[in-house]
Order: sequence, then structure tokens, then C-alpha cells
Amino acid sequence: MTFPLSRRALLALGIATMATGPVWAQMADEIIEPVEISFYNYNLATAGQGHDATVQLIEEFMAANPMIKVEGVGVNVNDMGTRVQTDIAARRPPDVAQVIFSDLAYAGQQLGAVPIDQAVPQADWDAHVEGMVPSGLDLGKVGDKTYALAYTFSTPMVFYNADLFREAGLDPDQPPKTWEEVKDYALTIQDKTEANGFAGGIIGVQVGPYDWLLQSVILSNGGSVINDAGTAVTFDRPETIEAVAMLRGLKDAGVYGNISRGEALESMAAGKLAMYIDSSGLQNHLLSQAEGNYELRAAQMPGFGERPASPTNSGSGLVMFSQDPVKQRAAWELMKFLTSERGYTIITSKIGYLPLRTAIVDDPEYLKDWVDANPLVRPNLAQLERMEPWRSYPGTSYRQVAATLMEAAEQAVFGDGDVAEIMQGAQARAQAMMPGS
Amino acid sequence: MTAETATFAVPRRRAVRRAGATRMLPGHAAMILLSLICVFPVYWMIVSSLRPANRIFEGTLWPTAPSLENYAQALQSIPMGAMLWNTVVVSASVTVIQLLTGVLAAYAFARFRFRLDWVVFGLVALTWLVPLQVVMIPNYLLVARLGLLDTVTALVLPHFAHALAIMLLTQSIRAFPKEVLEAARMDGAGHWRVLWGIIVPNLRGMIASLAILIFISTWNEYFWPLLLTRTAENSVVQIGIQMFITQEGTQWGPLMAASTMASLPILIFYVVLQRQVIQSFMKSGLR
Repeated sequence: MTFPLSRRALLALGIATMATGPVWAQMADEIIEPVEISFYNYNLATAGQGHDATVQLIEEFMAANPMIKVEGVGVNVNDMGTRVQTDIAARRPPDVAQVIFSDLAYAGQQLGAVPIDQAVPQADWDAHVEGMVPSGLDLGKVGDKTYALAYTFSTPMVFYNADLFREAGLDPDQPPKTWEEVKDYALTIQDKTEANGFAGGIIGVQVGPYDWLLQSVILSNGGSVINDAGTAVTFDRPETIEAVAMLRGLKDAGVYGNISRGEALESMAAGKLAMYIDSSGLQNHLLSQAEGNYELRAAQMPGFGERPASPTNSGSGLVMFSQDPVKQRAAWELMKFLTSERGYTIITSKIGYLPLRTAIVDDPEYLKDWVDANPLVRPNLAQLERMEPWRSYPGTSYRQVAATLMEAAEQAVFGDGDVAEIMQGAQARAQAMMPGS
Repeated sequence: MTAETATFAVPRRRAVRRAGATRMLPGHAAMILLSLICVFPVYWMIVSSLRPANRIFEGTLWPTAPSLENYAQALQSIPMGAMLWNTVVVSASVTVIQLLTGVLAAYAFARFRFRLDWVVFGLVALTWLVPLQVVMIPNYLLVARLGLLDTVTALVLPHFAHALAIMLLTQSIRAFPKEVLEAARMDGAGHWRVLWGIIVPNLRGMIASLAILIFISTWNEYFWPLLLTRTAENSVVQIGIQMFITQEGTQWGPLMAASTMASLPILIFYVVLQRQVIQSFMKSGLR
């Protein structure tokens, strides 16, 4: 068999590819033969509503697209990056994977994820993203490329025990809007009741390197953790340090204890904690445990003084790894369905994540009835307009950079050292781990 | 013995017995306390598995409204039966295979002298210091190439031999009376007969203790099945239990119900072989 290209032509093509980066082939226009794709999903690795809803989504998709078979593979959320990397080495990369936003830069820059805005025909892309929250779509971008389509998604919420508010003489219809009010309310509750005032999954044990909630607090004060170009960390900016110092103030006032996320969550579920800030995705879990015990309510993320809060998001995007044009088309069809009106109706009503198509919350065909019956989701939806993306760090040490920030913040808030000095130290250590340093 | 001494012997024996019992009382009290401390977490697991979701954190010793709802939910949420069966198959297979390879290798190390045998034995012993996590990825790539991903076979494959079994059995065989083995050889017994007819029956205690250790450590294994399995039906019970711990909160009730169900086979295994376990552990000095 002869190859149509000469060695010289092949060499030229190789050099050109290396110089310009990979050229992504356009995906197939349609599926004309049966095709099977794999979908790595962390909800499938759990038991309960997240798993059942994902199975339903896959089954409905396959029923509507009989030529496409989807193999749903449950992968633990903390192991997704490692698992994808291992399967790439084993030459079995997933076709689609649910990747948390903090791992996105790594997936795009190191694991060879497909830039979907380049692989998907422009008209197809434009038609699909119409009606989606623009700030949600921005979450999938790393630099000038879009590697993910936002999928499961939540923002920070203050869950509060309305019964404890009443017992302390506070009005549960007026939840705290600022961090100063959080402190005052917590002090009042601790003074008038047996309960603790405030806790959160911002930093500390069991939060790990997931800095999305800390980023929310920092951004709400006008600070940042990384510059716009994504080349340098900014842990030592005055506004960033000030935000961490505010949390230290809560601890010094005796209202913010250094307890693990699990303990805080259990304490909230048991009715022994008045306010708890964490992901809106916990809503169904907290509701099930509050039922019959106390009235659970939710409020938006608190701000600094007059300045409204800038909530970030936790959650995941759908990332395409398939290099085969036909499988890419199948993967894109699955991604479209999962983020369609029907997809978000299942995701929101069954799992509790936010819909990135906000119009469906008032549409009787989709979520209206559910939202009417579950009004706790409203404050969460109201935050979407102000939402800022959870920024991920570039390079192979991205987790260590995030861990450096989280450890420094924990030390600064719950320790006795100088907040500014600790954050400046973290800045130097983290910057040394950034690419090009 | 005179009638007088006989008359006084009984009360004296009683007094001695009573004094002995009094002396042993603190020891028994301490043992009872320690037993309660050991048993309490198991009791709490079972009691928590009977509490409904909105009562899961109540501190009473017995649930105010006990129900089997968590068991139903656990059985509905994960394929518990298949996972338990897989775990039993994997644990039993690994135990049998590791004992088999361990006995054969140990016999060779203990009975044959060959060039650099101590180096080979040292290398085998060193593998004990290599954690599974270090070789997990190469093992995964090999299993993928063999087309065995997501199979129970692949869960067993990397555990065909273990340094601990080889080392312990080697030491036991080395300590075996040489005269007995020489006598058997003089009677015309070959290596195969010596091993299975004389050595193995006499090492029952050591083999039983090793079997229990291997079975329990395989039963509790988490990382290798986590990496290898792609479907819950082909996975093991430890992965199933972990499925109740999610980013959106931990479902304590079903988790405790699943943990209780997962503990039962091991508990039964222990209760049935209790005497053997304790004797063999004491003999071998294993803890």
C-alpha cells in the first residue's frame, strides 16, 4: 500500500501542526450509523437522587436518539481528573466527562479536551446557547477557548433556622444582607439561645482545595485570587486580605468556630446552628433533615457594606474528549440534551442544581410548578445576574495553588498570626507554582 | 483425709474461690468496659440505621421511631446483593490464591538452597513496602490491555501473591522440625507429598490466621475497585457504602444500613471461627 503523501510533505504538515497547535476537525453533520459513547459522571458515582436523575437523563436521551448508545460511568468527583488521565494513558478516553470548574484549565491545557466552540458548527452552537445565562456560559472558557458547557451548577446560600431567629427575637423575614449583620445576628442568637450562630463550608477541614466559596467572599469585597490574564495569583491584594480579615473578625468575635464542614452541616441539620453558608446544592439534603424539626429558610450571599455580593458558582461543566468526528457529534447531541429545557427541568427538580435556562422557571411546561412548591430556589436564581465565574488556576500544579490559598486562609482566620503576612507568604509560594515562574 | 479436715476443706475452698473472684473483679470490670467501648460503635451503627432521616442525629440509645426504611432505601439505591456477592467472590478468591502461592513460594524459600536465594527473598519482602497506590496505574493499563476492565477477574488479578503470606509461611516452614521432614523423605515422600501431607496440615493455625487477615483486608479494599470498576453492578460493597457520601450531603441512614449489611458476613465469619482466630493470632503473634 502506498501513502498518498511524500515524506517531505508529511514532515511539512507535522511542523505546521506543531507551529499552529492542533487543528480541530469539524464534527460529523449527523449520525447515520449506531455509535456508542462513554459519559463519565460524578453523580452516577453516588446513591440517591443525583444518580437516579442522571440515569433518567441518559435513558430519555437514548430514547430520543436511538442511534446513540451512552455508557454512563460513575467516577468520584475527586478522582475525575486522575481517572480521565489514566484512561487517556490506557487509550480509552471518555467521550464526555463531567468536570468541576476548578479542574477545567487542567482538562483543557493538559488533558487535551476538545475546544467545543471550535469543534461545533457556529450556527449549531449559537442556536443551542440561546436562552442560557451568559455568565454561566463564560464558566466554560479558559482563555479564548470554550472547553465546557456549564451543566450542574450552584451558588452560595445562607441557610438559616427561622425558629432560632424567632427564639432570639430576630425577624426571620429579614435575614442578614451583610457580613456585619451576620456577626450581629450570630452574637444575638448565641446570647439568647443554646445554639451556635454561624458556620460555613468556606475554609477548613473537609473543604479541601475547593476555593469557590472563599473566592465568593473575596470577590464580594472587590478582591481577586488571580489576575484577568490568568498568569499571576493575587492573594496579597489589599481587598483580598481585607476579605480574609473579615472572616478572622467573625472568629475573634466568637461566632465562627473552626469545625469541619461535615460537623457544621450536621449541626445545621440537627437544628443546633442558626446560619450556615454553603452550596445551594445542599438544599434538598437540609430540607429532608429539617422536616418536622424546624423551619429551614435560605437567603442570598451576604455582601460587604453597601456593595452587593459577587457569588461565584460551584459545579461542573460537560467536557468533550472524543477525537472521532462521529463520536464528537454524538457527544455534542448528548451535551445539548443535558443542557436543554428538559434536561434542566430534571436536573433542578430531581438533584437541586440551578437551571442555566432561567426562563423555564416560569414555564408551566417545565419548572413552574416545582418552583412554586420549592420557593427556596428563588433567592438562588436572583443571584445569577451578579454571578462571577469560579476561576481555576493554570498549569499542572493548579490543585496545589488552590490548596496553598485555602491553607493560608485557614491559618489566617483561625490562627493568631498577622493576616496580611500570612496571605503575602501564600502569594509567594503559590506564584512559584504558576506556569512560567 | 480425716473427717475434721474434710469438714473445713469446703468452706476454705469457697473462701479461696471468693478471694480469687474478688481479686479478678477489677480485671473483669476493665474487660467489660473495654468490650463495651469496642461494641458501642457497632451498636450505634445498627441503631442509627433504624432512625428516620429527620431523626438521624437524635442522641437516644434506642430510636424513638425505629423503622427499616433506611434498609429499603439502601437496597433500592445501590445493587447491594450484587456488590456483596462480588465482594465475597473477590475476598474468597484472593484468600485461596494468596495462600496457595504463599505456601508454594514459602516451601521453595525454606527448603531449597539456590544461588542468590536470599536476594530473591529480600526482593519479595521489599514488595511489602510498596503501597498498592504506586503500582495501581501500571496495573490498570495492563488490565485495560487485557480487556478486563470492569470485571471481577481484574479485581483479583493483582493480588495473586503477597509478601506477607510468603514471609510468614517461610518462617513457619523453616521452624518446622527437620527430623520429621527427613524421615518423610527417607520413607520415599516427594516434595509435593511432604508439603501437602505433612507441612500444611501442621500449619493449620498459621494458615487460618493468614486466611482471616487476607480475607478482611481484601474485603475492606477500596482504591483498586474504585479505579477499575465502571458500573455499580460489577463493583464491591465498599464502593457502594461510599456512594452515600456526596457533595450534596451524606445520607447517614442508608449509609449505616449498608454498613450494617456489609459488616454481617465478616461478623458471622468471626463468630463462627472465633476460637480458631484467637488461638491462631496468639500463636503467630499477629494482631
